[in-house]
Amino acid sequence: MTLSGYEALFFWIFALAAIFAALLTVMARNAVHSALFLISSLVSVAALFVLAGAEFIAGVQILVYVGGVMVLFLFVIMLVNVGAEEQGREPIFNKQRQVTASLIFCFLLVGGVLYAVNTGYRGLQKLHPQPEAPVGLTPDQGAGNAITATGTSRMTNDTERVGGSLYRYASLPFEIASVLLLVAIIGSVMLARTLKQEASADDVDPDTLQEEIARDPELAKLESQSE
Amino acid sequence: MNMLNSFIPALAFLFQEVEGDRWAQMRHAAANPDLSKFLVIGALLFIIGVAGVLTRRNIIVIFMSIELILNAANLNFVAFSRYLQETGSVNALAGQIFTVFVIVVAAAEAAIGLGIVIALYRNKETIWVDEIDLLKW
Repeated sequence: MTLSGYEALFFWIFALAAIFAALLTVMARNAVHSALFLISSLVSVAALFVLAGAEFIAGVQILVYVGGVMVLFLFVIMLVNVGAEEQGREPIFNKQRQVTASLIFCFLLVGGVLYAVNTGYRGLQKLHPQPEAPVGLTPDQGAGNAITATGTSRMTNDTERVGGSLYRYASLPFEIASVLLLVAIIGSVMLARTLKQEASADDVDPDTLQEEIARDPELAKLESQSE
Repeated sequence: MNMLNSFIPALAFLFQEVEGDRWAQMRHAAANPDLSKFLVIGALLFIIGVAGVLTRRNIIVIFMSIELILNAANLNFVAFSRYLQETGSVNALAGQIFTVFVIVVAAAEAAIGLGIVIALYRNKETIWVDEIDLLKW
């Protein structure tokens, strides 16, 4: 796979944007700023997905991450707001020694990962010596799609093929994923519920409820309402 | 430069032994980003995420860093999927399908994790991870 022309230009723009936004996510003092920088990093990575020919994944990334997960994050930041004055005073990083140790670890990891990519990619090039192929066209797919003069724009049936193989080869994991999401919904509702909400839904063990009423008389009112 | 390459093999990635003008070669490599460039971007995003998890005190920012890590893995999956498509592999789309599942698991993880954060904040009144030390002896 080799990008060229404007694709290469946009690749570098979005790659730099993704990395800078990720750095700012980690370094921003305010959690809301972190969330907004993370959104821009995710959108840049979605653009890289488009450049790699995965339009469907890019759409899913924007819909699920930016539209769903990040909104959830912003809601939780709003709910556990620690207050602006405390955010200004508290240190945002761990103690000096911990930060130093983890940064050393991270630099070692950078070296190791880059080394692995370097040697592994050379091995891969030996395994599949590639001529300069036209961008994004597999041999069996080329006949139906007219290449433009620059060779960069094209029509794909990529989404159709992803959907087809998702149901053909991964239908069992697909069903398991839906069960996983159901468990996650129920679990997060259970986790975030207060004792008051549990009492008004008549969902507490009676003995436990008696103990809690002894500690907090307001619960008794809620229980009588529900009955 | 050769000596440097022998000591730090990771740097050889930037200064590969090439015939001809090195500057022109590097410009050609930059103008034609291939699989390895995607992998390097993914690795850098991964490292930034790891650094965030290890150094930050705010538990919500730690969760965001975990999302960064998963996203870097997704980038690698998609890049390899594209690479395999051009080698004509039959399993070329497996990377994209796996990415969908990673996104599903990330969404579930975020929902559960943020539920835990809310429950924790209700009981301990803090979001700083070094103050949540109930299990520490």
